[in-house]
Amino acid sequence: MAANFWTSSHYKHLLDQEDVDMVNPLDKEKGVTLEDFKLIKMHMSNYILKLAQQVKVRQRVVATAVTYMRRVYTRKSMTDYDPRLVAPTCLYLASKAEESTVQARLLVFYIKKLYADDKYRYEIKDILEMEMKILEALDYYLVVFHPYRSLSGFLQDAGLNDLSMTQLTWGLVNDTYKMDLILVHPPHLIALACIYIASVLREKDTTVWYEELRVDMNVIKNISMEILDFYESNRMFTDERINAALHKL
Amino acid sequence: MTELDPSKKVADRYLKREVLGEGTYGVVYKAIDTQTGQTVAIKKIRIGKQKEGVNFTALREIKLLKELNDPNIIELIDCFPHKGNLHLVFEFMETDLEAVIRDRNIFLSPGDIKSYLQMTFKGLAHCHKKWILHRDMKPNNLLIGPNGQLKLADFGLARIFGSPDRRFTHQVFARWYRAPELLFGTKQYGPGVDVWAAACIFAELLLRRPFLQGSSDMDQLGKIFAAFGTPSPSQWSDMVYLPDYVEYQYVPAPPLRSLFPMASEDALDLLSKMFTYDPKERISVQQALEHRYFTCPPPPTDPDKLPRPAPKKEIKESDLNPREGPTVLSPPRKTRRVMPGRDGLEGSSLQGDKVDDTHSNLKQAAGDNIGKSDPAPMSLDFSIFGLKPPNRPTINSADRSHLKRKLDLEFQ
Repeated sequence: MAANFWTSSHYKHLLDQEDVDMVNPLDKEKGVTLEDFKLIKMHMSNYILKLAQQVKVRQRVVATAVTYMRRVYTRKSMTDYDPRLVAPTCLYLASKAEESTVQARLLVFYIKKLYADDKYRYEIKDILEMEMKILEALDYYLVVFHPYRSLSGFLQDAGLNDLSMTQLTWGLVNDTYKMDLILVHPPHLIALACIYIASVLREKDTTVWYEELRVDMNVIKNISMEILDFYESNRMFTDERINAALHKL
Repeated sequence: MTELDPSKKVADRYLKREVLGEGTYGVVYKAIDTQTGQTVAIKKIRIGKQKEGVNFTALREIKLLKELNDPNIIELIDCFPHKGNLHLVFEFMETDLEAVIRDRNIFLSPGDIKSYLQMTFKGLAHCHKKWILHRDMKPNNLLIGPNGQLKLADFGLARIFGSPDRRFTHQVFARWYRAPELLFGTKQYGPGVDVWAAACIFAELLLRRPFLQGSSDMDQLGKIFAAFGTPSPSQWSDMVYLPDYVEYQYVPAPPLRSLFPMASEDALDLLSKMFTYDPKERISVQQALEHRYFTCPPPPTDPDKLPRPAPKKEIKESDLNPREGPTVLSPPRKTRRVMPGRDGLEGSSLQGDKVDDTHSNLKQAAGDNIGKSDPAPMSLDFSIFGLKPPNRPTINSADRSHLKRKLDLEFQ
């Protein structure tokens, strides 16, 4: 973990799970449940990833974009801030903040290509308008830390940096962005949880290594459980349910 | 000056006053924060017709300044959208270090120099501690507040470093402050580039003129080698592998003392450590702060006792006073700063907010060509002499667009 995380705005703004799980009253009125809320955010994380693959940006940009989107919905309602516009705009803003600018017109082009549905249709001017609103919703805090950097350091330190472990853990970290973990936990703990899951899965003994790290193993195990629960329930997240949730808005 | 007019209140909080100037990405004006009574400088970022939303440079500055919080770094007080434009609110700064260096009425004691340097280094150390490179250190980006506090400003070129093997553009810094590794085209560099620039500022404070005034990148290296000798491979082993490395004719280093006759031994020692060729061997800014130069006498002057250019209005009056300029007596070495045949340079400083590159260029153009007299405060009216101070090269438009392309394309 970079030494400066502890003095960063990211660290200061970590939230409790209860605060992240608060459905905005405006959305609640429309019948949006906590589960709908989570489903929509997951769907939008996937949307950001799909768009990012089209415009070819680094994983880091995707991770930052998803974090922005999730932060926005801890403060704003989906009723006022349409997720179908917020998601691509977050990718647009993250691409700038992470120094890999993507043109708005390219995004608009790929949005049309990915979704025929009119509800996803937004033009450049919509994205630019929303960019300003998102900046405000984020209170202009744009620096986000991610588990990726600490992940490679940890793997190397634990002597687990072979290709298979690297790929598995990297994929696990990617999947954590389908959940709200990045809003709640310091990124290096998320990385450690992913390594924990992978080492259990690949039957690598890391007990001693974790002991030497002097981190609270209970926290690591709790995060790991959350991730595993997510994989468990993921099977039930069908397109119909996502569309039903979006339809409420 | 604009009257306090409630209709000029922006975002229900700021009372707009006079325009201070035109920045890289919009107009800068003075305002009063009605919540705190504080005078502030507001940068209005043009968005309007641009198809790419919030200006990239502005966004960078916002991103980094939100993470930096230090008495020696400019404070971003607030951001707000107003009529479709984004506005950044900064603390109001009276002047900048370039204006101090250039003001021939100001005598800088060794304690004064130490104080300005210490504040510069402290601000820079805070950036480096947070893994942020400033990349545009120069006297006119070091702003000075009403209480004499010096603060680093203009983070439009700054960026986060520390991810291994990231490649950056070498087209950063105004040329005179560029480290040799940048001039040789390195794309992997670290905080050493800021240290080199800080050393140039140190030298400039001692000499009262820019130290290494290269007219091109090649010439800049020539000037560096003339001052410190052509580096040998034993001094800097990686040099020959740098992308734009070319062999320079060997010149021996003159004694450092001959370049800085007035400097103390401690100052010379620190300077030589900061001007080390090999970036890996170069002293860090934190180590520089711990150098004996800062602990040995004389102590750094208290910031609010530091000499500063006279406030704006008085300068304007004195400009009209024919007795001013010509009668000024100054040590002979200082006259070297005034050189004929250079392009005009106005406004060593738009006092108050930082003047960024495009801005000073714009101002020059306006002042020289159109003759539009925007009263940029100067300590001395050079037109009286028909002489002009040396033109500071900033990142020129070619560099800028090159930089922008790189930033857009390279960091995928």
